[in-house]
Amino acid sequence: MAAMILFAFAAGMLVTLSRQINGRLAVETSALQSSFWNHLVGFVALAVVTVFAGSFWPDGASGAPWLAWIGGAVGVAFVGGGSWLIPRLGAAMTGGLLVAGQMLSGVVLDLARGQDAIFWMQIAGVCLILTGVFISRR
Amino acid sequence: MAPSRLASPSSAGAAPPRLIEIVAALATGSLLTLMLLSNSTMAAHTTPLFSSLTAHGVGTVVAGIVLAALWPMHRTGTGRSARSPGRAPLWAYLGGLSGALTVMLTSSAANSMLALTGTLAIGLAGQVVLALIFDCLGAMGLEKRLPRRKDLFALAAIVAGTILIIFARGMG
Repeated sequence: MAAMILFAFAAGMLVTLSRQINGRLAVETSALQSSFWNHLVGFVALAVVTVFAGSFWPDGASGAPWLAWIGGAVGVAFVGGGSWLIPRLGAAMTGGLLVAGQMLSGVVLDLARGQDAIFWMQIAGVCLILTGVFISRR
Repeated sequence: MAPSRLASPSSAGAAPPRLIEIVAALATGSLLTLMLLSNSTMAAHTTPLFSSLTAHGVGTVVAGIVLAALWPMHRTGTGRSARSPGRAPLWAYLGGLSGALTVMLTSSAANSMLALTGTLAIGLAGQVVLALIFDCLGAMGLEKRLPRRKDLFALAAIVAGTILIIFARGMG
């Protein structure tokens, strides 16, 4: 359990680390190039892991809907956006505002899909996040 | 001592974000919701590893195509600014390693007693703590900036709201 808490904490730190590194590359090249290298290097690393751990074409891959295949394309814009933002806003505000956007859209998606959740907590969360975004502008 | 005086107006990082930057950040963050929806759909049909592998593969191809399409413009475009191209150190190209490793850690933690809710909440803490450290240090050659007191309040409110939303889902 303690190891898992450490894993989860480290995973969060790695998100910040990769954004910082990609941001540095974007300063020297461009946000899009930084996103390209991020995906290429990640792909190679995961391909190596796949050689040892898994199958390159697991059962079910053929049956996956189109929605399952577009994540990478969206990811290009996400990583590029982060790389563009971090030299402008710094790591903390970039991370905070990205999470804010993720959570606000996440609540909208949950409500649209009728996902089970405690409504008042969602609304309170949205209000707190909007307050935070408002304060950041002051 | 007096932390409120740390962020002097002369510090380059002291200016509040511009509206366009906030809108861009919120829009970019909302892409993550779409991306996670897509990747988790793939993971449900296959495995987390395959889902991340295909996401990175598709991303490489898409980014490569867009770069190739923009390349003529890039070459003839306005002269490069202060920094010349190709000056980035080798490690600056390795951000993707960190992203790949994240997938491994997250999928093992999310399958443990922590569940997805706990993993997300603790991950958020790790993300914010390291980001604040990086800002204060100016890590990886990015600009050093001490957060303004208002930045810290803003972050605290965003983190608190995020925790509420994560647990609203986890307990629903």
